[in-house]
Amino acid sequence: MTDLIHDPFVQSSLLPLLLSVGAVGLLRLVGGRRLAVLGIAVTFVAVFALVVGVPALPPPSSMGKLFWSAVAGLLIGGAADAAGLRGRAASALVALWLAVSLGWIAYPALDSAVAGVTFALLLAVGGWVAFGRLPSRSESPAAPAAVLLALALAVGGTALIGSSASVAQLALGLAAATGGFLLWNWPVERHAWGVSGQAALGVVVLLAGVLSLFTQAQAAVLLLALPALLADRLRAALPLPETGFGRAAGTAVVTVLAVVPALIAIGAAYLLSGGEASPY
Amino acid sequence: MKKMLFAAALFATTAMGAVSAGAAPVAYKLDPAHTAVVFVVNHLGFSNAIGRFNTVAGDVAFDKDAVQNNTVNVVIDTASVDTNHAKRDEHLKSPDFFNVKEFPKLTFKSTKVEKTGDKSGKLHGELTLLGVTKPVVLDVTFNKDGVSPASKQDTVGFSARGKIKRTDFGMKYGAPNIGDEIELIIEAEAVKA
Repeated sequence: MTDLIHDPFVQSSLLPLLLSVGAVGLLRLVGGRRLAVLGIAVTFVAVFALVVGVPALPPPSSMGKLFWSAVAGLLIGGAADAAGLRGRAASALVALWLAVSLGWIAYPALDSAVAGVTFALLLAVGGWVAFGRLPSRSESPAAPAAVLLALALAVGGTALIGSSASVAQLALGLAAATGGFLLWNWPVERHAWGVSGQAALGVVVLLAGVLSLFTQAQAAVLLLALPALLADRLRAALPLPETGFGRAAGTAVVTVLAVVPALIAIGAAYLLSGGEASPY
Repeated sequence: MKKMLFAAALFATTAMGAVSAGAAPVAYKLDPAHTAVVFVVNHLGFSNAIGRFNTVAGDVAFDKDAVQNNTVNVVIDTASVDTNHAKRDEHLKSPDFFNVKEFPKLTFKSTKVEKTGDKSGKLHGELTLLGVTKPVVLDVTFNKDGVSPASKQDTVGFSARGKIKRTDFGMKYGAPNIGDEIELIIEAEAVKA
């Protein structure tokens, strides 16, 4: 059993998937449909503690800052969802948390123009994550969960090829946790996305920040995965009937389409790396 | 009488000063061409992986006759880590291990030297890695001092061995599959500054 828990593959796939299914179900039971999505961030924090360990507070490194930023996002998201916060105020809260966290994590690496541009791009993506949802679809969890799944896969795959195993494991664990949430919401969307969901999306931006600013991975390829952010709009444009079947088909189509740019990004990372990975 | 006491005190002070000046450690600088900092770490129980740091600098204050006065300060560029595999080195430079972007230097500053034999001793010091400072003890063997026939410079040579636990410094990724205990092998020559 201990061997299984220490297996990097299990740590970043099966374990977070099962943890997420359990956490989402438990939070649904305790806090209702609005708090269930918090299970994604709870699972991410648990996987972080297992893979990297609980960092010191105050944290001396970017990885430690990533952990405590995720914990802060979890708490902020949970509190905001419990209080029923929605709309521009909720978006502004997510944007503030994400900007502060990004700045905190990134500032030791902001020593060049390239790093400055990278940071600006990360802030822009964070802004889209916070404010980019269509008001008409703000409660629907399927499309943003598909975005989170796709971006986490892109970051995880790129990190894995780029010899940054912990970021890879954490991002793939986040993807698996999102998979657990999606299982609860297919074929029927049972839960709200809310501030906690937006915070989980913010965590993948923070992971991308660590990958692009503190490792030698080909993180620029992540730009290729950004079309996944349009999943919400794509879902709204799909000519599917507003029936149970139509909604289930919409979730499946959007998830598959969101993952395509992520796979392109991973393929580009592989090609740029010369096809050689770390022996770990 | 007062004059005699003053003269005696002056003599004693001067003599003591002369003795302590004579026993002052001599300053040396580490010779990077003949200094190696090597680490050995267990890899999944199958084998022991070996790596080294290629950029090492430092100062040694050396007194052969009063080893307790000796001091060593070493600075290592963590980005110079080399395990003879470029991709693995990339991983070692990442936040998983040495996190070279945030922590470009690894330092050792000695705090005490204990003599344990004619040519051996224990070097106590503080190792700073990933922003965490912990006490470490190295077993040191003094090999030789004198003018090097190669460089014609005053040279001292030491060997040191020790063990640290990387998780003590917050380097937790992969432990215990990638060993927690790191064996250190240090071979150093220092030339008179």
